[in-house]
Amino acid sequence: MIIRVEHLSKVYRMGKVEVPALRDVNLEIEEGEFLAIMGPSGSGKSTLLNIIGCLDKPTGGRVFIDGANTASLSENELAEVRRDKVGFVFQQFNLIHSLNALENVSLPMFFAGVKRSERLKRAEELLAKVGLRERMHHKPMEMSGGQQQRVAIARALANDPKIIIGDEPTGNVDTEAGNVIMGILGDLNREGKTIIVVTHDPGIAAHAKRVIRMRDGRLFGEE
Amino acid sequence: MIDIMLMAYRDLSERKARTILTLLGIAVGIAAIVSLVSVGYGMQEAITGELTAFADLITVMPGKFAGMSYVELGSFTDRDIRDIRRIGGVKEVTAMMHGAAEVEYRDERKPVFVFGGDTDALSSFYVEPVGLAEGRWLRENDYKVCVIGNRVATEFFDEPIHVNDKLRINGEKFIVAGVFNKASTLYATDVDPHIFITLRAARDVLGNEKAKYKYITVRVYNINEVEEIAERIEDRINDNHGLDEFATAMTMGSMLERINSVFSILRGVLVGIAAIALVVASIGIMNTMLMAVMERTHEIGVMKAIGAKNRDVLSLFLVESCIVSLMGGLAGCIVGVILARVVSLIVSSVLEIEFVPDVKAGVLLAGVGVAMCVGMLSGFYPARKASKMSPVEAVRYG
Ligand SMILES: Nc1ncnc2c1ncn2[C@@H]1O[C@H](COP(=O)(O)OP(=O)(O)OP(=O)(O)O)[C@@H](O)[C@H]1O
Ligand SMILES: [Mg+2]
Repeated sequence: MIIRVEHLSKVYRMGKVEVPALRDVNLEIEEGEFLAIMGPSGSGKSTLLNIIGCLDKPTGGRVFIDGANTASLSENELAEVRRDKVGFVFQQFNLIHSLNALENVSLPMFFAGVKRSERLKRAEELLAKVGLRERMHHKPMEMSGGQQQRVAIARALANDPKIIIGDEPTGNVDTEAGNVIMGILGDLNREGKTIIVVTHDPGIAAHAKRVIRMRDGRLFGEE
Repeated sequence: MIDIMLMAYRDLSERKARTILTLLGIAVGIAAIVSLVSVGYGMQEAITGELTAFADLITVMPGKFAGMSYVELGSFTDRDIRDIRRIGGVKEVTAMMHGAAEVEYRDERKPVFVFGGDTDALSSFYVEPVGLAEGRWLRENDYKVCVIGNRVATEFFDEPIHVNDKLRINGEKFIVAGVFNKASTLYATDVDPHIFITLRAARDVLGNEKAKYKYITVRVYNINEVEEIAERIEDRINDNHGLDEFATAMTMGSMLERINSVFSILRGVLVGIAAIALVVASIGIMNTMLMAVMERTHEIGVMKAIGAKNRDVLSLFLVESCIVSLMGGLAGCIVGVILARVVSLIVSSVLEIEFVPDVKAGVLLAGVGVAMCVGMLSGFYPARKASKMSPVEAVRYG
């Protein structure tokens, strides 16, 4: 089991109003799974992914990633989890605009202290893997949404994490590009990566082997 | 390290206007320091260089210096001069007297300050640096002959005075043998408003009361003995007058010390002004770095989300402010050196002193060092703020 979520809750506080985003969520994900999370807007999907991806901290409950309780990790250790164990793919791509594709992909390796020549080589391989070898010297603004998202996937793979998390990775691209992206994620899953994606699109969710649904901060129904 | 610098460089070149403004702030501060200090050193060197030509000279005055002002306690006697001549190592002694006298020229009377002294000594003091506009300098055996300062010749009387004109000093007839050039600032107050005559003439013309020596100059054989002899002169004259502190015997060494201390105060003030400029600049850097953090909140969030630690973000921003301040420091040094040249040209033409700025390597190094420190210190707070941001919130921002 690579991810275990126990009695997870998250409450956002906006002034005096408390907004419960997650209520007692329990979830177990095996290594090598391809999981899709669906649910209406505001049901807490992003909140759950952010906590699993160690971008955010829960109000209650525990998350184990690869056996480690994230609550007991220091700020630096959480950064290491984000860097080495989880690759995060955002709906908005979130590439660094001043850097070209190659540099964007090598950035996580830069933070991991990988030698320059080595990380440029690996970044090039990863870009080739997502079919963007000829685009590696382009800046994000010179690429289409689908291409940018493929760069973002290559970046998520930089330090060879076991887990890839995508929060509506196809939300900002057209259907065709979305299918390409899901195809790449499917390939990665076949290579052994654990994939978790959030999506509104049942067609996209169909790529996953397991689909769970959320509503009002709770998980329900598994198919 | 090189990578992080490359990244910082990219971010900086993406935001050219802001970077240039910051850079300018630092550069102005450093340029101010470098140029002011270099001009100060240059002036000091020019003046001290001129003075070291008189290293074998002791100037004895009947009074003492209290801080920057001089208090006259009396005047020297013939006996004082004889006693100084007897001190071992003394090569020559010249006494000078001076006093206000009534000068009459073509029925016009004006009080003018008259100097009497050894012609050779006066010549090396004044004629060599200032030069004569007309006529000749005094000779040892001249009697009722005078040389006049430029303002005496051109401004004091309704009609200008020229060589071979006659004037009366305290009623005695004198012939004008020469007229000085207009003196540079350094000599203007010593030469321009004065009349110079021989010691013999001065004794007779300046009434008994004022006809005592106000100024003795001594030359020694051996420059190394100059301090020691100066002390002995002071002791001897103090004995003669029965006072503990009557005479002040100044060597160029002690004069240089006084001048150097004036200059080091001056430099302190200049550096203080420049330091204020730098503080202002550092507020500017801090402000632009804070803006950079704001602008890049989203980017910082992304970097943290893909695994940057706080210290990665911190060092990225610190390196960035370091690069800016280093470039600012270097630019400041270059501009400072140019500015020093320009200021020196202006100052030397206004004050009529020949000098070039003295740009010391230490000052340049200090300039760059200070720029780096200012950059680091003022970049630290924004960098820390950037590094502490929560990744989700930062990613959601913008
Ligand atoms: N930073 C925040 N401050 C306050 N409330 C928040 C914050 N982030 C999310 N929420 C609230 O928490 C709940 C869950 O939000 P979340 O973003 O997880 O939903 P989601 O399922 O991802 O929705 P969507 O499909 O629109 O992306 C919502 O009610 C939302 O308004
Ligand atoms: Mg969402």
